[in-house]
This record gives sequence, C-alpha cells and structure tokens, in this order.
Amino acid sequence: MSETLLEVKDLTIEIATRRGPATVVDGIDLHVGKGETLGIVGESGCGKSLTMLSLLKLLPNKIRVAGGSAMFGGRDLLTLNNKELRAIRGGRIGFVFQDPMTSLNPVMRIGDQLAEPLIHHRAMSKAAARQRAGELLKLVGIPGAEQRLDAYPHELSGGMRQRVMIAIGLACDPDLLIADEPTTALDVTIQAQIVDLVKGLRQRLGMSVVWITHDLALIAGLADRICVLYAGTVVEDAPVDQLFAEPAHPYTRGLLASIPRMGAPDSARLSSIGGTPPEPGRRPAGCPFAPRCPLAEDVCRTTVPALAPLRGEATPHRVACHVANRVMEAA
Amino acid sequence: MSSAPLLAVADDPPVSLWRDAWGRLIRNRLAVAGLVMVLVLAFAAAFGPMLTPYDFLSQNLDARNAGPSLVHLFGTDDLGRDVFSRVLYGTRTAFVVAIVVTALAVTIGVTLGATAGFFGGLFDRIIMWFTDMTMSVPNLLLVVVINASLKAPLSQWMETQYLATLNPFFRETIWIDFLLVFGSMALIAWPPYARLVRAQVLSIRSRPYITAARALGLTNRIILTRYVVPNAIGPLIVSVSAGLGTAMVLESAFSFLGVGVNPPTPSWGNMISDGLRVWQHYPHLLAVPAIVLGLATVAFSFLGDGLNDALNPRGSK
Repeated sequence: MSETLLEVKDLTIEIATRRGPATVVDGIDLHVGKGETLGIVGESGCGKSLTMLSLLKLLPNKIRVAGGSAMFGGRDLLTLNNKELRAIRGGRIGFVFQDPMTSLNPVMRIGDQLAEPLIHHRAMSKAAARQRAGELLKLVGIPGAEQRLDAYPHELSGGMRQRVMIAIGLACDPDLLIADEPTTALDVTIQAQIVDLVKGLRQRLGMSVVWITHDLALIAGLADRICVLYAGTVVEDAPVDQLFAEPAHPYTRGLLASIPRMGAPDSARLSSIGGTPPEPGRRPAGCPFAPRCPLAEDVCRTTVPALAPLRGEATPHRVACHVANRVMEAA
Repeated sequence: MSSAPLLAVADDPPVSLWRDAWGRLIRNRLAVAGLVMVLVLAFAAAFGPMLTPYDFLSQNLDARNAGPSLVHLFGTDDLGRDVFSRVLYGTRTAFVVAIVVTALAVTIGVTLGATAGFFGGLFDRIIMWFTDMTMSVPNLLLVVVINASLKAPLSQWMETQYLATLNPFFRETIWIDFLLVFGSMALIAWPPYARLVRAQVLSIRSRPYITAARALGLTNRIILTRYVVPNAIGPLIVSVSAGLGTAMVLESAFSFLGVGVNPPTPSWGNMISDGLRVWQHYPHLLAVPAIVLGLATVAFSFLGDGLNDALNPRGSK
C-alpha cells in the first residue's frame, strides 16, 4: 500500500433533533492512499456525504462532528481554524457536488467561477486565471473551451456543467478530489463519459479520488478500493477485485445480488434487501444491519462487530460482521 | 436538460440573464410607458433649468397668478414666478432626494439584511429586532421629531460657524434641509430593504452553489458579495424602482407639511401646499405640481411592475 493521504479515524457525526442528538455517522474508519481511488458505497442516508462534508466543515447547521480525527497531510482537518481550512478547501482538496444544475452560481460566467479559486489560492492575476480557466475547460473535454468561458451555467447541458464542476474542483491541482455522487443527476451515457474523464485525469494528474456513489456497477470500473457504508458505519472495506470476488458482509452481498444481470432468465426476480435502515437515534444495540440480516444470530443483536481483516489474515479485505468468517469458510 | 447532447454548442453568443430580462421588459407595454416617463422626468431633472428662459426664483410682479399661456407654459404663481420652471426645478429636487435617499436606504438595508441573513444566530436576531423597531415607529412622527429636535441646534451651529470662519458654506441653510431630509428619510426607508434582502439571503445561503463556493475555500466576504448578493438582486431592483417613486411621494408629503425641503427651493410638495390655498381661484397652481407628482408615481410603479415580471418570469405567468 502506498503512502496514506487521508486517514479518518472513529469519525462520529450527530444531528440535533428535538429528542436530543442522534448519531448518523458512528465511528467511521477509512483511509485513502496517494494516487488511490476509493469508492464509498451505501444507500441514501447512510452518511457517505456527511462524512466527506464534515472533513471540510461544510456540514449544515444542525449537524456536527462529535468525535474522531481526520489526518490529512500530517494535520487533523477537524481541528483546523477557518483560515487554515480555507487554504485546504479548493486548494488541496477539490470537491465535486452531486447536482450540476444547482451547484454553479447562476449569475456568474463559468470562466469567472473557474478563475475564483485560482485568484484566491494561487494569487493569479485575472488574465492569467482566465487563461488557466480556458486550459481547464479543455482538460475536461469541453468543446470550444475559449468561447464557453463567457457562458452562463444555464446555457450548458447537465453533462457539460458537471465537467465544469470537475474543472473547478481540479483548478488548483488538489491532492484529493472528492466527488459526491457526481453522476447521479446525469444520463447513463453521460455518466460513462464523466467516469472515463475522471479516470483519465486521475492518472495524468496523479491525484487521489474519493468517489461517493450508491451505484456499485459504476464504481467497479473506477475504484481501486471500495468502502461499503451502512447506517453510518463501515461494514466492509476491500480492494475492488476482492470485494466483487468474495463479498463477505451480508449487506454487501445483498447489494451485489440486487444488481440486475444480463442473461438472467426473464422469470428471475430481482433480489432486494427486506426492511429499511435504522433511523438515526433508533439504532439497534448490536450490529446495525442485524434486523435486516438473513444470517443474524443472537450475538449480532447484542454486540457491535468490529471492522477486522477477513479470516483474521493479513489482508486489506476488512469486514465488520460476526458471522462472515464462518459463512465464508462454509462456502 | 441532461438529455441534451453533450457536444451541442449553441451558435448564438451567450445571452446574459440581464439581457434576457431586458427583452422581457421591453415587450411589456406598461413597463415601457413607465420607463419612458421616468426617462423624460430624469431628463427634465438633469437639464430642466436649460429648457426654460425663466429662473425659478425670478419674480415678475406684473404677471402674478397668470394662467397658462405661450409666454408662461404653466402660468405663474402668486409672486409671478414661472410655474413651468419651478416644476422642472422641483423635478430635480424630487430626483435628487429620491436617488440619494434610496441609495442611502439600500446601502444600509442591504448591508444589514445580507449580513444578518448570512450569519444568522444572535447577530441576525439583534439586527432584525432593530429593524422591526424602526418600522414600528410612524414615519411621519419620526421625521417630524428629527426635524423639530435637530433643525434649530443645527442652524445655530451653522450660524456660529459662519461668524467664526466667515466661510459662506455655513450660510447655506439648504445643506441643513438636505441633511435632515436625506437623513430622516433614509432612516425610515431602509428597513423594508433589510427585510427583503435578509429573506432572499436566507433562501440563497442553503443553495448548493453556496456550499460549493465554501468548498472552494472562498472567504465569507467573497461568497457574500459575489455569490449571495448578486443572486438576491432581482427582487431588490424591483423594490428600488418602487422605492424611488415612494421616496418622491414622501419628499412631497414632508415638504407639503413643512418638514421637508424649505422654500424658496421648489419642491412639488411645497408647490402643492402653496397651490392648495388658492386653488378655487387659480387651480393650475395646484393642478400642475399634483399631476406631475402623480405621473412620476405612476411611472415608477409601472416600471417596478414591469421589472418584477421581467426578473421573475415564473411568478408572472
């Protein structure tokens, strides 16, 4: 494993409710190596976006980090003051948001939006920033980049806007690009283009990428490693090949089984996982997945399983499940 | 939108949001009528004194209270002053007062409203408490109180300054008028702007592009001035247009009541006040300034409505 760029330890996030604080992210551990692409997978509300937003203190008002650390370049992001944080935001960590329709300032030309981080972080002149903005648009494959600089966001299609968002995220050559479901709002064909774009850029620029998604199929071709999140905890963390070859956590297996397959008989029903994730504030005592788990035993309902290497070996494949080891051996 | 081909590049040059709005504005007949009237009045305010052979002060006691004629377009008043010239000069007064007062009020209102809405919390509550408090004081009362309490001491002070320095600046009581009129009117005019902008900012600050701007490491000042306020400006423009008309009416009302611009400086308000005393005999002395004031109000109101439709196209259909 290469050098670690970002290491999140025991991150806990709470949301203020009328009944008091409710835990939405419960002790997440994850790490990203230099040049590595980490896929974070989980269903809506499992805390994937909150985890990433919390790193840059971008959480909405009523949600706060209750504990943990996030080491990035030798410093704990969670303890930085606003000024230090601003240098990291957009400078060393680029962020691409989910909805390209609403994540660009509607009254600002895209050239100016691209130039903003350059002027702010690199102290570039307006002219130099504009030239670099043109290069960035070319980099993300926008045709007629120079003319597009003067366009307003509403004049671009969704795919083009997402490319602009990525260009803004890349503007200052960040060490880490965090993409929060960047293709959710786009057509399937455009999704593939954006994935290819990020793949190519990652290699050319040598940056790390954290790609948040709920689409396992999409992330399979992009990530080096995948973290599966469930109800605010990491349930499985494995290199992408191993995860698909031998998914260990019952939740991961459920996710994989629910992907439709080509060539399956027409009569085959699409499998789904029964039940819904626990509400924040009403987490079960043991494993959060136990109420929905087909393999749950008594211990699952009382004790939270720790994230540990599968089969106890020295493997990067880690899983948080009491029964996974036994099940895997039996299989 | 997302199904549009990725490589589609429009051939038209980029159309800015403002140009779009302008297109909608000039398709609206009432708005154009309002705009034309406003421009005519603005022209009169700027070049009025050059359009007439008479000075607004020069008296012709041989031709007092004359009716409209070719010599005196709108007739003359009880001192034989040309009413046309006085109305033109009153237009200038109205515009100067409206523009300065609105500019002051907008500056105060936008600054307070935007910061209150953006930062929220205790700061917001204190500012809004202050805003509501100001709004709850009757306008006229506040202006009268300010005039009554400050005018005499200020005149006194100017007088002593003049005697001490012999600087002719201190002889011009018009400055006191303007200071008090501008100041007191701005003081009552800013709260609606503060509330409007705060409401806008509250809705804008939770939009994704604001989070995106924060994720870029921009400072609060840049986010506020380049991302929040420009997006809040549409309703503000509408409100300013209507506010200019309101300020003109207010100025006239205060001058009418004798707490605004003082004679001999012509103001529509004090012309109406003078005309009211003799309207049975010389109705033109009341009619001319009153009609001009009415037209100005209507013009700004049409323009404001048109701007509202142009800048919020969704709301008008």
